[in-house]
Amino acid sequence: MVLVSAVRDYVNRMLQDISGMKVLILDSQTVSIVSVVYSQSELLQKEVFLVELIDSISKSKESMSHLKAVYFLRPTSENIQHMRRQLSNPRFGEYHLFFSNMLKDTQIHLLADSDEQEVVQQLQEFYADFIAVDPYHFTLNMPSNHHYMLPAVVDPSSLQHFCDRAVDGIGALFLALKRRPIIRYSRTSDIAKRIAQETAKLMYQQESGLFDFRRMEMSPLLLIVDRRDDPVTPLLNQWTYQAMVHELIGIQDNKVDLRSISNLPKDQQEVVLSSEQDAFFQANMYENFGDIGMNIKRMVDDFQQVAKSNQNIQTIEDMAKFVDNYPEYRKMHGNVSKHVTLVTEMSKIVEERKLMLVSETEQELACNGGQVAAFEAVTNLLNNESISDVDRLRLVMLYALRYEKESPVQLMQLFNKLASRSAKYKPGLVQFLLKQAGVDKRTSDLYGNRDLLNIARNMARGLKGVENVYTQHQPLLFQTMESITKGRLRDVDYPCVGNHFQQGRPQEVVVFIVGGTTYEESRFVALQNASNSGIRFILGGSAVLNSKRFLKDLEEAQRIARTSSSVV
Amino acid sequence: MATRNRTLIFRKYRDALKSVRVPASSSSASASSAVAGTSSGGGPVIEMVSASLLHPNRSYAPLSTEDPGNSSKGAVTVGLPPAWVDVSEEIAANVQRARTKMAELAKAHAKALMPSFGDGKEDQRNIEALTHEITNLLKKSEKRLQQLSAAGRSEDSNVRKNVQRSLATDLQNLSMELRKKQSTYLKRLRQQKEEGQDGVDIEMNLNGNRSKAEDDDLDDMVFNEHQMAKLKRSEAFTVEREREIQQVVESVNELAQIMKDLSVLVIDQGTIVDRIDYNIQNVATTVEEGLKQLQKAERTQKQGGMVMCATVLVIMCFVMLALLILKEILF
Repeated sequence: MVLVSAVRDYVNRMLQDISGMKVLILDSQTVSIVSVVYSQSELLQKEVFLVELIDSISKSKESMSHLKAVYFLRPTSENIQHMRRQLSNPRFGEYHLFFSNMLKDTQIHLLADSDEQEVVQQLQEFYADFIAVDPYHFTLNMPSNHHYMLPAVVDPSSLQHFCDRAVDGIGALFLALKRRPIIRYSRTSDIAKRIAQETAKLMYQQESGLFDFRRMEMSPLLLIVDRRDDPVTPLLNQWTYQAMVHELIGIQDNKVDLRSISNLPKDQQEVVLSSEQDAFFQANMYENFGDIGMNIKRMVDDFQQVAKSNQNIQTIEDMAKFVDNYPEYRKMHGNVSKHVTLVTEMSKIVEERKLMLVSETEQELACNGGQVAAFEAVTNLLNNESISDVDRLRLVMLYALRYEKESPVQLMQLFNKLASRSAKYKPGLVQFLLKQAGVDKRTSDLYGNRDLLNIARNMARGLKGVENVYTQHQPLLFQTMESITKGRLRDVDYPCVGNHFQQGRPQEVVVFIVGGTTYEESRFVALQNASNSGIRFILGGSAVLNSKRFLKDLEEAQRIARTSSSVV
Repeated sequence: MATRNRTLIFRKYRDALKSVRVPASSSSASASSAVAGTSSGGGPVIEMVSASLLHPNRSYAPLSTEDPGNSSKGAVTVGLPPAWVDVSEEIAANVQRARTKMAELAKAHAKALMPSFGDGKEDQRNIEALTHEITNLLKKSEKRLQQLSAAGRSEDSNVRKNVQRSLATDLQNLSMELRKKQSTYLKRLRQQKEEGQDGVDIEMNLNGNRSKAEDDDLDDMVFNEHQMAKLKRSEAFTVEREREIQQVVESVNELAQIMKDLSVLVIDQGTIVDRIDYNIQNVATTVEEGLKQLQKAERTQKQGGMVMCATVLVIMCFVMLALLILKEILF
């Protein structure tokens, strides 16, 4: 609950002391921040009767001075410009300004300069600068996420912008939690190091007064890692409910857009999947596909019973009871149709793309050994006509990531086959991936085959057998969390910034993955937190990835790298 | 959670920058600004209106067109809110009154259910009166609520729609609460009556048994008396039961009607319609579409044949008039 309740508290405090009819004005980023934690009906209860975006509100000239304006914006230069224009021609009775991060003095100057009519009643910084999609999972939803893959020389200003946003988001998170952490980062990643150092500068030097909270016995830990240390997780197909919906259809700010699917009634074209508001989803978001099917069937049966009893109205009392229960009934109906639609759609996609077959091989590639068998399996699937291009690309990528060094000849064979089969996906992308995230570039032992202890552990797991072939993969994050829990996070791999050192185990850990997180990883974090190990983990990233998004980032980065190298 | 208040710094900068700008000069401006200053703390417009009445020699100019360079304290038109705000306030007041009456009703229910020596008719009447009052309030509020619906796509209409939604939610919750209270009360009442009736039944059985033990002649007479008494009592009960059922049916109908009308307006929680970003998107698209439609209409109207015809006719009229005048002059 901790992230969601932090942002909700901020929004509550914004609205509570202002009486009368209000209008809430947001920008395109804060809209997402507020929408995932606050609903329209709750806003109406707080007497907020109009919500607008700051760009669209400048277009209208209507004077609505009986309303009080509450602005919640990010402190960017465009927003300050918008504010200046609106303050010089005020439309509302009062102006209350809230910014989601730290304002520079120059910005306050500019605002004060334009407030000639003195309509601004308060100007505060409320640090809700991250999107709290789940209780322990946040994202920053950065639009051009791919910049982390490129070296600084290519586009230094975009990279600086990327780092600034990340530092702002992380700083806001810790201000919301009122803690100041020890910062560690992944050794082999330049961008992780850069973000770690800039965050340390912010927290310990530039704004050390703001971050100076009461020291608990154990400082929390901020661990900044790079997506390229674990490129396997975003490429895999998922079989647990939330991760699967994101992988096959796509979840954005806890909303699922089903408009591309035909024959849906109007109220099911866009649905909300939020663990806060939907009890069924909260109970099932981490369950695998088979169990979900059974649970949905049970839900539908319950609903049909209720519907039948509603139809059987004979006495006046039955009528009265029906009218009483109608709102509940309607809500249940909507919820049931939503989940049934989602599961139906996903089953259809699984059928079409033969994902059961593909995913079995993917999991083998990600988890078990056996290069020869893997090569054979991948070749067979590449030859299979009904596999889609993107699935073929993923298989080759997974093979390449694992068996990069073992047999280059066979790897070349696979590349050629891929090129011949799918004109769209050039093998150059796979090679780009290897350059970014190959064995030499990764910090830790992704496949557990570098040191004896890991090999032994893998053998033991292989002997024990797995419950479910499709969900046997454990992301690298899981091992990192285990090492932290045991207090054995290697300093060689994850050095500290500055001379603050960690004694013992921290009680709170925030892991920030530069390049994006996945719902599979957030599932492991939630399950780890539920197991009461004494440590609370929070996961965040610059975006929430699925295989489509990860591939898009790779393509974008490759395109820019190619154009820049041709210029140079 | 940490926050930082920058209002003081902001005010400091604002005051510093104000003194750098052109200072307020004319006395009338300073007088008006002084008066405006008292009402800039969110006071109603009435103060402003009286301000202009107090200075009759000043021509009445709307305060918003004051030279921004000269005005210092909030000379923004704290205008009157639009008329529909009165309607919404009336409905909110009704809702409040209905809530207090519901509390009274709950007390009256409890009192009526307690075993008493009296007839209980007065309690019944009290309960009936309260229930009627509350239902009337709800019905009246619901009718007024329909008046808040607005056409058009301005921002004001969005505000109206949202106010309507919020009041509809309140009304729906109230009517559901009322129904729940009524149904529990009736259930408890029926339970009590059944208990009472059991006693009467036992009595009747005893009488029946006793009557069988009597002589045949006396039997018939006694039986007839008992039969009559039984009939009368059951008739009274039936009448009363029927009346209660009638009441329930009426209230069910009324409230069902209200809820049906309201359910259109109320937002279903947890659905996409309850999302802030969805509502903003919809507003944006409808406004854009509305703009496109307006532009299209404007274009077609400009090109419209009607306009052409009208202009041609007018020109012809002038030409004819000119010809007429020429004819008069020349001949």
